[in-house]
Amino acid sequence: MNAMGFAWRSLVRQPARASLGVLGVAAVGALLFDMLLLSQGLVISMRGLLESTGFDLRVTSTDGLPGQGPLIPNAIDRTQSIARLPSVRSAIALRFANAVLLAGGPRGVYTSFQGVAGSGPSHPWSILRGRDIAPGRPEIVINENAAARTNLEAGSQVMLRANCADQEQALPPVPFTVSGIAQFPFDAPNGTTVATSLQMLAAACGGNESNDADVIMVASQESVGPSATAADVAQLLPDLHVLSNAEAVNRFERGGFTYFRQISTVLTAVTLSFAVLLITVLLTVSINQRLGEIAALRALGFSRWRVVADVFCESVLIVGGGGLLSLPAGALLAIGLDRILKRIPGIPVDVHFFVFQPSALQVHLLLLAATAIVAALYPIRIVARLPIAATLRDEVVG
Amino acid sequence: VSVRSVVTFIAFVVIASASVAADDSLPSVLISRQLSETEHLSVGDVIRLSVSEDGTHVQQFRIAGVYEPTPDPARLGAVIREVQLHLPDLLNLTREPSTPSGGEYVQTINVALVDPNDARAFSRDVGARMPGVEARPAIGAAESTGPFIVLRRFHLAIAIVTIVASTVFLLALTIMLVDERRATVGVLRLIGLPIRRIIFQLFLEGVLIAVVGSVFGLVLSLLSEGIINRFFQWRYDTALVFVRITPQVAAICVAIAVPLGVSATVVASWALLRRSGLRLARR
Repeated sequence: MNAMGFAWRSLVRQPARASLGVLGVAAVGALLFDMLLLSQGLVISMRGLLESTGFDLRVTSTDGLPGQGPLIPNAIDRTQSIARLPSVRSAIALRFANAVLLAGGPRGVYTSFQGVAGSGPSHPWSILRGRDIAPGRPEIVINENAAARTNLEAGSQVMLRANCADQEQALPPVPFTVSGIAQFPFDAPNGTTVATSLQMLAAACGGNESNDADVIMVASQESVGPSATAADVAQLLPDLHVLSNAEAVNRFERGGFTYFRQISTVLTAVTLSFAVLLITVLLTVSINQRLGEIAALRALGFSRWRVVADVFCESVLIVGGGGLLSLPAGALLAIGLDRILKRIPGIPVDVHFFVFQPSALQVHLLLLAATAIVAALYPIRIVARLPIAATLRDEVVG
Repeated sequence: VSVRSVVTFIAFVVIASASVAADDSLPSVLISRQLSETEHLSVGDVIRLSVSEDGTHVQQFRIAGVYEPTPDPARLGAVIREVQLHLPDLLNLTREPSTPSGGEYVQTINVALVDPNDARAFSRDVGARMPGVEARPAIGAAESTGPFIVLRRFHLAIAIVTIVASTVFLLALTIMLVDERRATVGVLRLIGLPIRRIIFQLFLEGVLIAVVGSVFGLVLSLLSEGIINRFFQWRYDTALVFVRITPQVAAICVAIAVPLGVSATVVASWALLRRSGLRLARR
């Protein structure tokens, strides 16, 4: 019988303790797996979301994030200039504001409000029902949440009061027609969003700064790539700041959400130490109870390496069995934890904290393998140095 | 309700700076430690501030002090480069030429009440007398902020998983430890000790081990509290406290750990003691 088969029989002989050991490793392994998914999940998810918009460069007036700095003056003219660059496929200007849709109740529904203009064949949203806004018409698209709260549908008429500055304003309400219901990539689960053309947004904002925007979004030609396009845009408009998706993700990675990566690192270290300590104790106590049996096997002709291999295989079986169970358990736990974390206000619907990636699975398996080896070291040392005659005398006579 | 003091503030960012000879007649400002370090500014230096990137409408100020920004979890990871000005100086600097003096606005008015318990009543009074102005009690503001409630739930969920894993391991260990003493327990049974007496002894052992383990765990957590706080404070350059072992947290941990440890010992022992003494003592 080989070492693995022998180790299997040793474990099966005491099913309660073997099962508990495997279950314990499964629980710890599930937490470890989740921490690995969390370590990069948010960044991967955000990268996917940014790329899904179809634009790979963001041009702003300062190095702040879009919507956090001053408006870009003459944004429409500049968007057209950018769109004419050979390396650019399309470019659109976006302006962000807030608004109240005067429907769905006496106080209306507070919503974010965006205006778009430019050369792009499509807008940064997907139409779910109805149709897209037509240029030059007072039309808006609204998201599902806004539609549900205001009871508006495609074709409905609504009055909208815009708020376009930091300070409170009392702008007159403006009539709009809802042309369609749309999905916006950065919508939070309960967020309400309304979008129209930049021209109509400026009109709703009182006609001031009608040519200004918060950000110009640029899609580069696939043959050129974002880096070369960013250089072209920076050369064309040196007073503006160009941010690629990769740079945005990098900034995001260095921002406040690094907390999750740090906490995952700490918890990974704690979880691994916990697993190593407990499996070591489990194996050591188990070995101590079987010293006489092991000494008898040695006396019967089992080599030192053979009994060491038996102990090591026991460790591998406990960690391996627990590790296998930890994958489905970890996946279920990740879904639950993701649901909890996604309640943080302002997190877009499509952003997830726990994202599966093959590298996380590889690291998980490597860490579990290392755990099996390290946890087996001390019990292996006991078995390897076991004095056969003295142990047999102690166990039989004692 | 009486108001003890009223403070207004607006955060301001340095646009341009230059260190020249100190001049006491200049208006004074405070700068954040981070700004002081990144721009190599110190107390007594004169800086020039402007509200526009092109450096128009520049005014000079003297740095009166360097302050440590109030830790703010919402700004974790951000390098806080701030200048605090006296409000009249700020309004002079930021006022549009067309705006008459006194017509400016501020974002926030912080109010300190003589009796903090009057916060809710004061908030209602402001709402009734000044429509459009919202007064919120500061006490409990952090607790009511969504992200931190979510993070608390997240940590609680992780703690529950950890407790489940620990319980499973604990049960496995106690089964083995009790099994190791099978012969001893068998002899005790054979010389006439009743099961109840042996279980009581094992129960006391379980209590002792659980209490010692809990105390060890608390000491370990108190030691790691400092390490974790120092690491994250260094990592994020903040004075924010990330981990705090309060008496309440310690009490909860002990209240969970001790009964869990004792229960595991008793459950494992009970399974063993159901066998006959002769069978237990047999080698």
